Amino acid sequence: MQYVIIGSSAAGISAVSAIRELDPKNSIIMISKDKQIYSRCQLPEIITGERTLKESCFIPANFFEKYRVKWIDDTGVTHINTDAHVVETNNGQKITFDRLLIATGASSFFPPIDNLQKGRQICGLRNIDDALQIVDYAHDMKKAVIIGAGLVGVEAALALNDLGLKVTLVENASHILPLQLDQTAAGNYERLLNEHQINIYTNEIVTKIHLDEKQNVTHVELKSGVILPADLIIVATGITPNIQFLDHVPIKINRGIIVNEKQETSIPNIYAAGDVCASTESFTAKITPTPIWPLAIEQGRIAGTNMAGGNKQRTINFAYKNSMNLFGLSTISYGFTEAPNENYTTHIQFERGSYKKLIIKDGILFGAIFQGDISGAGIYGKLIAEKISINSLPPERLFSISYANFFNQQENGLYRY
Amino acid sequence: MQRIFINKSLCAGCKNCEAACMAEHTTHRSLWLVNLSDPSNKPNNRVALDNSGQPTPIFCQHCDDPACVTACMAGALTKNPETGVVEHNRDKCAGCWMCIMSCPYGMMHTSGVYEDTAAKCDFCAERGTPRCVSSCPTGAITLRTI
Ligand SMILES: Cc1cc2nc3c(=O)[nH]c(=O)nc-3n(C[C@H](O)[C@H](O)[C@H](O)COP(=O)(O)OP(=O)(O)OC[C@H]3O[C@@H](n4cnc5c(N)ncnc54)[C@H](O)[C@@H]3O)c2cc1C
Ligand code: SF4
Ligand code: SF4
Repeated sequence: MQYVIIGSSAAGISAVSAIRELDPKNSIIMISKDKQIYSRCQLPEIITGERTLKESCFIPANFFEKYRVKWIDDTGVTHINTDAHVVETNNGQKITFDRLLIATGASSFFPPIDNLQKGRQICGLRNIDDALQIVDYAHDMKKAVIIGAGLVGVEAALALNDLGLKVTLVENASHILPLQLDQTAAGNYERLLNEHQINIYTNEIVTKIHLDEKQNVTHVELKSGVILPADLIIVATGITPNIQFLDHVPIKINRGIIVNEKQETSIPNIYAAGDVCASTESFTAKITPTPIWPLAIEQGRIAGTNMAGGNKQRTINFAYKNSMNLFGLSTISYGFTEAPNENYTTHIQFERGSYKKLIIKDGILFGAIFQGDISGAGIYGKLIAEKISINSLPPERLFSISYANFFNQQENGLYRY
Repeated sequence: MQRIFINKSLCAGCKNCEAACMAEHTTHRSLWLVNLSDPSNKPNNRVALDNSGQPTPIFCQHCDDPACVTACMAGALTKNPETGVVEHNRDKCAGCWMCIMSCPYGMMHTSGVYEDTAAKCDFCAERGTPRCVSSCPTGAITLRTI
């Protein structure tokens, strides 16, 4: 019996500990392009120098010895032979598996913008190499344009601003962080960004990158005709799953490798977890990618358990949750940021510098934003993720719901809702 | 492992457990010196009212399957396999608040005292019995081995 795991990040690593809980002896081989174990979420801190690559490692130093994993690093998987149960790599290795986990995550998505593929100083922000490349460029560069003001784009903007570059953010939607925040909450960050001399263009699209004869970036052209001088461009317009090596593999794919509640793919003994897979997301009840860290960990654990002969199903697979801490202003949000129609009521509170918003329909919470004071937010996340009714609660406590309102301690001391 | 058991009908709402937690997590550890109205010094536990207005003390239960640990992208939160305590390593914490976003019981919080890092119940690592439990005058919270 041999387990093979492709990918050494959140999903792959959490699968290892799950396998070892049930199977202490059979061999585990991990293959990854990554040469180090690091948390991608901390790449912005690596760019600013707040954290070293080593400090961003999210597992104990003895992890591979403790769990007895053979790690083949710096190696890309190029093909999976599903009949022979063999994984092929870019350096000619052929590795057999009995159970395989695909946890190859995602890459930065580069939209079809004129010259975006051609220009030299154009980076995504997903891997440590991207971060190191950005640091390298940032030494000599003065003006950066960031395409896309989602979380990665905004964090990149802060990092480059910190390094002394003049930064401009360009966002398609009417405000920054459009998937995470409403206009009010985003507006508070826009003000902070402006105070730090970061320019923001919303309702704008980058149409063309201007290059010199050596393919160096010189300008960025926007739909409105505005031309921004730039010598560095960061592309933060979303991600695309790492499935290129599955081109000739008969596995079901639709915006990600399709998996069931047990993280099984359409091929027996092959599992997928994390950003590379598409699963039934519980808030929307749709099959979509769920590209957040906690779900990569959770899905990896479920895959690992089932690979080792256990029987574990996903229950809550809630991807509509966000947290951020930018310029010292904290925000946590869940579900909808705006009421989708008039059947939902919106409740807003401004208190002691904090902004809170709740979206409710028939006694069920469908959205929440906490900006400033975020304490106790997790309870609202639970209520939204599991559609738990708040009808029996005193209405005046809407903004101060605590676990006391649901208190139910079990015999083993654990709480339940 | 040990867990705190709560008998909310015995809770008088005196908040001795909150004060004890605040004092324990200062350098002097003294209830006499702790500034109870310092907004940056928040207790890791809390007493809140239930639907009928009965004060209810709530503590981190050091979950068997802790959502905060699953969420932590820095490896700063871990469940100690020997003691069962869910431990927070402040040096590793990146202050991303994913744990606060994820704890279904609201027991992770930000700590002004420790600047930009999260904070949680540490089961009073350096004491035999958590100080909240020792400080409860009514017996509403007790420690049990499970
Ligand atoms: C800057 C940034 C900030 C983020 N912030 C947050 C946040 O605040 N909250 C949050 O929830 N999420 C955040 N994320 C997203 C989070 O990092 C991902 O959800 C998580 O890393 C997904 O883990 P994964 O294991 O599925 O894949 P990945 O982390 O993408 O890892 C993929 C692994 O597969 C390997 N690999 C890929 N292709 C191959 C191949 N062909 N052969 C071999 N190996 C391969 C890679 O080397 C890597 O080891 C952030 C991401 C970035 C980039
Ligand atoms: S902080 Fe919350 S999720 Fe973490 S162990 Fe405590 S109660 Fe469980
Ligand atoms: S705030 Fe700190 S402890 Fe909480 S999830 Fe982020 S890094 Fe982990």
